[in-house]
Amino acid sequence: MRVEAVIAEHHWDKLFRHMFPGDHDEHGAVLICGKATTPEGLRLLVRDVVLAREGRDYVPSPRAYRMLTAEFVRRNILRCRAEGAVYLAVHCHGGSGTVAFSSWDLESHERSYPALLDIADQPVGGLVVAQGAVAGDIWFPDGSRVDLDRLRVAGTSITDFRAHALPADVAQDMRYDRQSRLFGDRGQMILRQLKVGVIGVGGVGSLVVEYLARLGVGSLVTADPDRVELSNLSRLVGASRADVGMTKVEYARRLATSANPEIAYTGLCGDFVDQEIAAHFLSCDYLFLAADSMQARLVFNAAVHQHLIPGMQVGSKVQIDRNTGDVTDVFSVVRRVVPQPGCLLCNGLIPPKALQEESLSDTERAAQRYVDDEDVVAPSVITLNAKGAAQAVDDFVFGVTGLKRHTQEPQFSALYSHSLNNNIRKDRWRYSASCPHCSSSTTSRRGKGSDYELPTRIRC
Amino acid sequence: MMKGSVLEALEELRQAFPENVVAEEDGEGGAYVKISDVALAEIYVQPNTWVGFRIPFQYPQADVYPHFVRPDLARRDGRPLGEAMTSSQWRSDGAIQISRRSSRRDGALETALIKLDKVIEWLRRRP
Repeated sequence: MRVEAVIAEHHWDKLFRHMFPGDHDEHGAVLICGKATTPEGLRLLVRDVVLAREGRDYVPSPRAYRMLTAEFVRRNILRCRAEGAVYLAVHCHGGSGTVAFSSWDLESHERSYPALLDIADQPVGGLVVAQGAVAGDIWFPDGSRVDLDRLRVAGTSITDFRAHALPADVAQDMRYDRQSRLFGDRGQMILRQLKVGVIGVGGVGSLVVEYLARLGVGSLVTADPDRVELSNLSRLVGASRADVGMTKVEYARRLATSANPEIAYTGLCGDFVDQEIAAHFLSCDYLFLAADSMQARLVFNAAVHQHLIPGMQVGSKVQIDRNTGDVTDVFSVVRRVVPQPGCLLCNGLIPPKALQEESLSDTERAAQRYVDDEDVVAPSVITLNAKGAAQAVDDFVFGVTGLKRHTQEPQFSALYSHSLNNNIRKDRWRYSASCPHCSSSTTSRRGKGSDYELPTRIRC
Repeated sequence: MMKGSVLEALEELRQAFPENVVAEEDGEGGAYVKISDVALAEIYVQPNTWVGFRIPFQYPQADVYPHFVRPDLARRDGRPLGEAMTSSQWRSDGAIQISRRSSRRDGALETALIKLDKVIEWLRRRP
């Protein structure tokens, strides 16, 4: 079984600063992890980083150099048992680019992990980190034991650490010659290995699919319940009258495979909010939300934080003065939703009222006399959609290929591009300490993976 | 089949209204709920009413709204029922719709029970 670990950028920063403060000494910590089962194997999702204090929690060892104290281990393994979480002990080694457990490390695993498994009744393990490398030894209650495949740092950029750096294995493909001069062979390999989800294949989503396929992303998953209509043709890139009546995901298949015949494409004709559709996106490395329902926003926001999958929400809006009928504002918006504090929910971008209204049937809406909000109409301009789609995919590709690092300032959480006055506005997330999606509260869904329900619809 | 969050809401309602809660699946993971024998204030002709509402599958982030009461609800003084109360339909039955939205709703704090208590209190305190 393939096992990987995923840690959010802010947690990685916290761990890295503790492990490598510049003293060239050994330091320790414990990672509290949720679990998610994917078709590729098991993901351990870091929910919390508990640093071992020097001289109190991390002390000289009679058998090795340093060790976690029994009290520190006991406190954290009992927490894991209470939360149904996975316990991972972490320490650091010197060197860079490659790392391995010492014989003393492995002996300590043999001594202590069987007992920890009995207490937690969950997988337990150890990680050793060096500069640019991470190795892991994961033990399971059934007695099996697996090496960690990789540790992924997920956020505005995506970085994978393994015990040994992988060679760039890219046969030169002239289709990507110009862009690989920027991303490098390794960057192009990264794109080819990524699985990206695109939720909604309308005006914005079709452009995102086109861009991702042409960039060389290896695998796409799309979902949309609709069919191509005549009124869509002005916004669906590459669509023609011959596509009218086709499901949008099939139209998008043609779009993607025309751009990249080797792409692995999965098109789901259904609503992302439905449980069985959303499940296909939980093994993705990145998500683009290009659907305009609040219900989809809630599921997307939950998936990002619960499964530590970074994403981008893209949309556009035309605002009209209700009294005069004048267009008062036109803008595209790109919102980064990454597994860190601050999200769509705690920034008021998923109104409870809208969620409730979207749950009504047409009959209920008529009976309860709902009136559509005439202030806001669905935009229908391909150029507006293209601004948002291009910004979103641009941010994604520079993040995943390592050209943009999350430490580079300024960073935005939301980018608004206003068409009427050409203003560009950046916003940064607020953060609620009690947010049920992104906070560090024990009741939040952050990092809980498959052990927690997504707010999806169950079709009965 | 109901979502775990909906089941939790129902459990809280059943603890507050023992033997008065009837819940049916809505086919999406939510529930239609009916609370019987809710006492009314003396401004009304009827001494009590049922209260019906739907808990959507995306509760607690989704608002629980609107609420419905008996269709023949009437005031002793003969005046109209007033604002936020309109003739409507609850599922297949006639009903009075009570439209009390939560403007700054915090799903973690305003459970379905707390919302119901607010609506009942508002109904009882009508001038």
